[in-house]
Amino acid sequence: MFNETIHYAQTNGHEILVALGQHIEVALIATIITILIAIPLAVVLMNHRRGGEFVLQVASVIQTIPSLAILGLLIPLVGIGTVPAIIALVLYAIMPIFQNTYAGLTNIDPLLIEAADAMGVSKRYKLLRVQIPLAMPMILSGIRIGVVMIIGTATLAALIGGGGLGTYILLGIQTNNNPALLIGAILAAALALVASWLIKLLSHTSLKRLLIGLVALVAVGGGVYGVRAATAPKTETITIAGKMGGEPEILINLYKDLIEADNKHVNVELKRNFGGTSFLFKALKAQQIDIYPEFTGTVLQSLVKTDSAISHDPQSAYQDAKNGLAQQFKMSLLRPMAYQNGYGMTVTRQTAAKYQLKTISDLAKYPQLRAGFDPDFFQQSDGYPGLQKTYGLNFKNVKTLEPALRYQALAQGDLDVSDAYTTDPQIKKYDLVVLTNNKSFFPPYQGAPLMLTSFAQDHPQIVTSLNRIAGKISTKDMQAMNYQVTVAHQKAAVVAKRYLQAHGILKQD
Amino acid sequence: MIEFKGVTKEYQSGAALAAINLRVASRELFVLVGPSGSGKTTLLKTVNRLVVPTSGQVLIDGVDVAAGNLQELRQHIGYVLQSSALFPNMTVLQNAGVQLEALGWSKAKIRPRIEQLLQMVDLDPAIYANRKPAELSGVEAQRVGIVRALAADPKLMLMDEPFSALDPVSKRQLQQLILKLHRELATTIIFVTHDMHEAMLLADHVAVIHDGHLQQVGRPQEIIGAPANEFVANFFKDIIEDHQTLRQVVKAGFGQATGPSPSPTLVALPPETTIYQWAALIQNQPLVQVKVNQTTLAATDLVSYLASLEKEVATNVQ
Repeated sequence: MFNETIHYAQTNGHEILVALGQHIEVALIATIITILIAIPLAVVLMNHRRGGEFVLQVASVIQTIPSLAILGLLIPLVGIGTVPAIIALVLYAIMPIFQNTYAGLTNIDPLLIEAADAMGVSKRYKLLRVQIPLAMPMILSGIRIGVVMIIGTATLAALIGGGGLGTYILLGIQTNNNPALLIGAILAAALALVASWLIKLLSHTSLKRLLIGLVALVAVGGGVYGVRAATAPKTETITIAGKMGGEPEILINLYKDLIEADNKHVNVELKRNFGGTSFLFKALKAQQIDIYPEFTGTVLQSLVKTDSAISHDPQSAYQDAKNGLAQQFKMSLLRPMAYQNGYGMTVTRQTAAKYQLKTISDLAKYPQLRAGFDPDFFQQSDGYPGLQKTYGLNFKNVKTLEPALRYQALAQGDLDVSDAYTTDPQIKKYDLVVLTNNKSFFPPYQGAPLMLTSFAQDHPQIVTSLNRIAGKISTKDMQAMNYQVTVAHQKAAVVAKRYLQAHGILKQD
Repeated sequence: MIEFKGVTKEYQSGAALAAINLRVASRELFVLVGPSGSGKTTLLKTVNRLVVPTSGQVLIDGVDVAAGNLQELRQHIGYVLQSSALFPNMTVLQNAGVQLEALGWSKAKIRPRIEQLLQMVDLDPAIYANRKPAELSGVEAQRVGIVRALAADPKLMLMDEPFSALDPVSKRQLQQLILKLHRELATTIIFVTHDMHEAMLLADHVAVIHDGHLQQVGRPQEIIGAPANEFVANFFKDIIEDHQTLRQVVKAGFGQATGPSPSPTLVALPPETTIYQWAALIQNQPLVQVKVNQTTLAATDLVSYLASLEKEVATNVQ
């Protein structure tokens, strides 16, 4: 495990550093905004007990809302990315910083306040020279709590495209990739410790220096941002996002390579592990991303409304999906690649041999087999309920479990049969057998770039570039690439480029 | 001159001050004395409006303290609190210069002024100016508190039980310091204490307050000699008992009625004369006889009186 983690860190070093940088950036901005809200608020309310208590109550209530829910609530209001992440973090961290500042300011020895009043000092002098310095230890401890909380909660930003170290934690959970999970978790924890220690150091510094430091930080940050914005080349940036996991990451890297090879003035920004289907679809609709790879089966099942039954012929399924998207959402689904990544039913080679299983229909004879399904698959009409009707399956013992875990459970003999994605590399890794979809129950899942029709019209050259892999990449090719990324932990960018060059789609460097 | 005109303060829990009328002459050291909760501190704070009276007026040199700018009023009144109440985040120099800073003095002007005052209260500026309050003893901190109050050279200084938290030795030092400063500076001082000895030692005039009511105002000797009521007599009992006068000797039954032809060496003395003054007289003229009103006292009477006190003490011990 240790060696694996080191290896993973070495091969993904640059991306990890970028994620760490993003994490620090988001946490820092959230911290500064929180401080700028919470401390002045506490100052204003320190002489209005009722107002102070009220704000404390509200802040406590916000704190009890799960952070995931806040992120979800913010999406319709401010979209996705770092902005809602920062808003959520600020909402969270206001409570400890406000509470400590308020307590610090209201619990100063009344004799000292009386002394200041009796000397006839101005309100401003009293605040800056007496009250805030005396409350400073409390304020700093509040900031410390807030920052640690922000750094921890910022890992959830990855769920809504905010990036950061959470990307690795999510990726680790989703794809059962422990090295990624460990790296994300350890770095986030280490970052929290370092930040806490830094603030402790700051507590020995005078208020004046703290203020100068804060101003300098904002100025330098703003300056760097400004310089970056000003010196950035005048190229167009388009954003391509991918769903969770290794395969979408390979696909978006293929897109990037194709587009950048043909269009010198286009800069492609990738957002990997960006979220689930509906999340990406909404982001595309809101033009927060420009392109993402989608599958015909998913389009027909969950995105477009169709009256007729879903076609099991790949060609007509693609046409239905394409037309549905164009009519209902003004989106363009480009031509798909060759491979299909759909649901399948899988068993180990031994089980297949023992019961002579070749097709899904063969399973109906053995209701005693222990089945384990992805929770979605277990509920969706195109999943297990549909299978029961079409093939007459009726397993006595059905469990639902995380998709990433079902292959391992099969391999260890805890399960006999499970659903599978046909391009999953674990099929190769664990030497599993995919049973034939003999009644064509599963709709074809063909991957293709999805974008707004307006975007396609404005960027014909990008459409041309992307169409260069239409009809290419077999299921076997995809499975091999998935294996290299998800199991062998190679970088998706390297795997994608290698494929394009090996198949003569791109020139060798 | 400071005048209190019908100053009343009522809290929800009851009246703290009941229509106090009082005058404090300029340049005097005026002591407000009374037990805890008597209202003396409340009365003091009406001067710089840390307490706003429910009714009545406080006038400084004929000007109502409620009339002008509050900040300006306070910038010209020195204030010394019970504990030194120095700001722990500031140095001695910064603490003492707070009022000057509020008055808009430049740092360059503040430093020499504070250094001069530190010297006046026997603190070496080279050692103390840059110390933090945590590095000061209680008595040193209170000296700085006094410097802070005197910094702006106020015409009026208010002191709210400034020495009550100090040990007896430190207390005596600072009482002497206040007497010295009062002699040297043209400052009116209103001093609150519950310690009658302190009141007697410091005061030009004393006002005794109890339950928000003024009991008696006068010079210390007048109050000891003729307490206005039982409360005042009780409050000053210790001092009155320590303060033995010829009147008490006569009252205790010593001496003889003066005959029709008194001796030529007979010296007439007022009844307020202390027995110590009497003893000093006897030291010079061992045979002197003194006449108090209609009674003649001889040296033997002094000895007998002192012996009778000894008996009294012995009886008390038993």
